[in-house]
Amino acid sequence: MIHDFRYIRPKSLEEVHDLLSNISEQGCVFSGGTDLFVDIRAGLSTPDFVVDLKAIESLHQFSFDKQEGLIIGACVTVNELIRHAAVQKHYSILATAGRELATHQIRNRATVVGNVVTASPCGDMASPLLCLDAEVVVLSSKGSRNILLSDFITGVKSTRLRPDEIVEKILVPGRMIDAIGGYKKLKRIRGHDLGVVSVALLKGKDTLRFAISSAAPTPVLLTDFPPSTSVRDIQAAAQRAISPIDDVRCSKEYRAFMVSAFIERLMNEAG
Amino acid sequence: MMVRITVRVNGKEYTREVVESKTLLHFLREDLGLTGTKEGCGAGECGACTVILEGHAVNSCLILAVEADGSTIETIEGEVKNGRLSRLQEAFHNHHAVQCGFCTPGMIMTIKDLLRRKPKPSRDEIIDGIEGNFCRCTGYEQIIEAVLDASGQLGESEGLKYAR
Repeated sequence: MIHDFRYIRPKSLEEVHDLLSNISEQGCVFSGGTDLFVDIRAGLSTPDFVVDLKAIESLHQFSFDKQEGLIIGACVTVNELIRHAAVQKHYSILATAGRELATHQIRNRATVVGNVVTASPCGDMASPLLCLDAEVVVLSSKGSRNILLSDFITGVKSTRLRPDEIVEKILVPGRMIDAIGGYKKLKRIRGHDLGVVSVALLKGKDTLRFAISSAAPTPVLLTDFPPSTSVRDIQAAAQRAISPIDDVRCSKEYRAFMVSAFIERLMNEAG
Repeated sequence: MMVRITVRVNGKEYTREVVESKTLLHFLREDLGLTGTKEGCGAGECGACTVILEGHAVNSCLILAVEADGSTIETIEGEVKNGRLSRLQEAFHNHHAVQCGFCTPGMIMTIKDLLRRKPKPSRDEIIDGIEGNFCRCTGYEQIIEAVLDASGQLGESEGLKYAR
């Protein structure tokens, strides 16, 4: 690595809280490290120490119950999510989006929570989780608080997480387990590439929702269309809600065009 | 600071003092002299550094050596047994799936992991399986054929018979 740092692998949350209360040094918590070590190598992040959360058993919690819904602990990897039978059965939108995230090797390390906390505009997990009304459970030495995911991400790579807090888990309510889900992502190559634009759809008995990534500083949630809404009306609402930019990956016009194209394809597939 | 770690690589145990910020990739290459694992992009995109850690294919450029303390690791050096290529290596050789060879160690480790999960992957499953490994020479076709052959899915007219 270009930058030297200390490595700490605590076994309890109390130790993590102590480490993060230390304000004289900068620490970064991580589990997969697939974003953090890229940033450190590129000189974008220069922590004094890194805190590996993987030895904390409670952060590996991963459970499903029809009433409680799905609980995804901070150290649950994307491949664990994809392989989970209840996720495949009840939250297919999460499994479909998870398969689009980077590569098999990355998915073996990268975590669902990490992808959300990184808060990249092109992250794959935030938009399906937004459609599912997910909540983020945040911990510090002062206690825990729940934040709706729609309030949690505040901008490009910024969230409501305070420096002394970590995300313990994500809660996905059980009320939408029978909804049909879909996820479409445009990328330049198969495999590891940042998304050019992506759209998630969730269609339940009384609800129709979309979330769009890579088309605004944060993922955009379009919620509570009556299920009978026409494709054209949804496309119009989506175009009003997004603010795509030109960048190295494509033009803003192409992004906007593909948002509407994906909405139409997802609607056709959802029937 | 230096930290003492112990890893089991290709069945052999190694204990070494290592700098905390060193990647597993650099540890394998510089400290253990196992230079078969390659460094390409260093950012988890090209897959040249793929090794199997605790049974899972991972990018060793994005993992710290200290994170791997106590782990079992498989690298390309573990493929040859008693001077003989593994079935997968032999299929790569027979199908000319190696051109410059830089991607091959990572490619082989990724496919080894794939074949453990799916002993007879379809063509599409192979393409999906190697999405994290870039080859800039072969155009992938020979690699896909090698995997089909190594998993016993090519007839004698299509595949080349193994020497074994």
